[in-house]
Amino acid sequence: MRPGVLPLAIVAGIALAAILGPLLLPWSYDAIDWSAVRAPPLSPGHLLGTDAVGRDLLARTLAGTRVTLAVAGAAAGVALAIGTLWGMIAGWCGGRIDEAMMRIVDALYALPFMFVVILLMVVFGRSIVLVFAGIGAVEWLTMARVVRGEVLRLRHRPFILAAEAAGAGTSAIMTRHLLPNLAGVAIAYLLLTVPQVVMVESFLSFLGLGVQEPMTSLGILVHDGAEDMDVAAATLLVPGAVLVTLLVALTRAGEALRDRLAP
Amino acid sequence: MRAILVRRLMTALPTMAAVILLSFLLMRVAPGGPFDAERPLDPATRAALAHAYGLDRPLIEQLGRYLLGLAQGDFGPSLVYRDFSVGDLVRQGLPVSLTLGGLALAVALPLGIAAGALAAMRPGGWADRVLMLAATIATLLPSFVTGPLLVLAFALLLGWLPVSGWGGGDPRHLLLPVIALALPTAGAIARLARAGLATTLAQDHVRTARARGLSEGRILLRHALRPALVPVASYVGPAAAGLLTGAVVVETVFALPGLGRYFVQGALNRDYPLVLAVVILYAGLILLFNLIADLLYGWLDPRAAG
Repeated sequence: MRPGVLPLAIVAGIALAAILGPLLLPWSYDAIDWSAVRAPPLSPGHLLGTDAVGRDLLARTLAGTRVTLAVAGAAAGVALAIGTLWGMIAGWCGGRIDEAMMRIVDALYALPFMFVVILLMVVFGRSIVLVFAGIGAVEWLTMARVVRGEVLRLRHRPFILAAEAAGAGTSAIMTRHLLPNLAGVAIAYLLLTVPQVVMVESFLSFLGLGVQEPMTSLGILVHDGAEDMDVAAATLLVPGAVLVTLLVALTRAGEALRDRLAP
Repeated sequence: MRAILVRRLMTALPTMAAVILLSFLLMRVAPGGPFDAERPLDPATRAALAHAYGLDRPLIEQLGRYLLGLAQGDFGPSLVYRDFSVGDLVRQGLPVSLTLGGLALAVALPLGIAAGALAAMRPGGWADRVLMLAATIATLLPSFVTGPLLVLAFALLLGWLPVSGWGGGDPRHLLLPVIALALPTAGAIARLARAGLATTLAQDHVRTARARGLSEGRILLRHALRPALVPVASYVGPAAAGLLTGAVVVETVFALPGLGRYFVQGALNRDYPLVLAVVILYAGLILLFNLIADLLYGWLDPRAAG
């Protein structure tokens, strides 16, 4: 089996379960079953048991995974858009503009990201849109570097020169000729950005600064589980295991793809 | 060497200035404030509070006062911890956070380098595969998952170690937080050390050393390790950032009185001066560690010093 297939299958499985699972379960993630508070795993009606107020752990974990993945996907999309645009402009223009743009990226690399995101959360209030916009806005740096490198590599290839000689405008060259050739590497790094974003999102939610109740996410579930672990260890173990599995699988898949596309 | 330092300072100082300026302005344009309670204050009280904290002055004057205070090590009053200045909180919390981060680095460096070296001895061998998978997983283990898990196992189930608290710096209280904090850094260092060593061990001077009949251990320690650690050195800056960020979570999980925990409380309560001070302080620390990384870089690989 090719490297990267198994992790990708695991990611797909988790995503599918998170999307379809809540439709199939009798309990919604916020429904309270008063007859079963802190039920242990394998209780009748609750496969993984319930939490401190009698909410089904499986339903909550699936719903939390869905929110985490949605936030991560959106934030990684923001990072992809900013990073690709920034890298393409820097790589294409070259010279002073390139130098200045990459200096900015270097300077931002040296900043404490998490603190900047938290600063943004404090300033603009804790809304879910801002969570992913904020995370996306600080996770684009690697993408910008990678895309710039690719543009520099492609810049003087004959097909680009031919397009220029044929009178194609800059925007046409960028969208028609550069972008399709960048896509593979950009997607590999997108896959590597997603676990980073998942980590940031659950970090913020764990601290109470990210996704807010009554919505839930893996970070919130781990937080609630940690509060209650002395009497109901499953509430910590289940979301924790899903989170770590997701992070490892996404990273392995991204690395495998990157190694195949970028020598 | 000096040229590199000067060039780095030329980027670091404007970055620092931009951080201070931007975060100050962001905090002031923010909608809502620390005096927004569930029950609205009457306008006179509100105005008096704003006046007492100087929030009714023109923005430029507020900035001037803040910078002046900053130059004297005064971060202003904390808006939530009313009896303390932010400076007091920093003086209380920073030593705890730095102890935690320093110990974690002291654990992560030797652990990571040893694991990386063991893996690089036989690239592709089973030790390599197992160690690198472990390193990948360790790198991705969020400290807010490992922290509670360690507490569950060693404090609640086995009862060997205390659940939380600082205990006046008692090593038994520090063991679990340091492990939770060190694991991701150790994993990242192991991967970098392995990559560096695998490249170095394939080079001509190592082949020569082998041909002269030196033992593998001696080759590793005397000939390969120093140049192989260059990628590890360049990771010192990001590692410092990771440890400071991780410390925020670990301090929250283990209820340690560090600066990170004050920061989270400040962020939840919109305590502007406190959040501002921590961001500025940590940005400064991380820039400092990047400079240290550059110095290390030059020492490990004299060609880079120029």
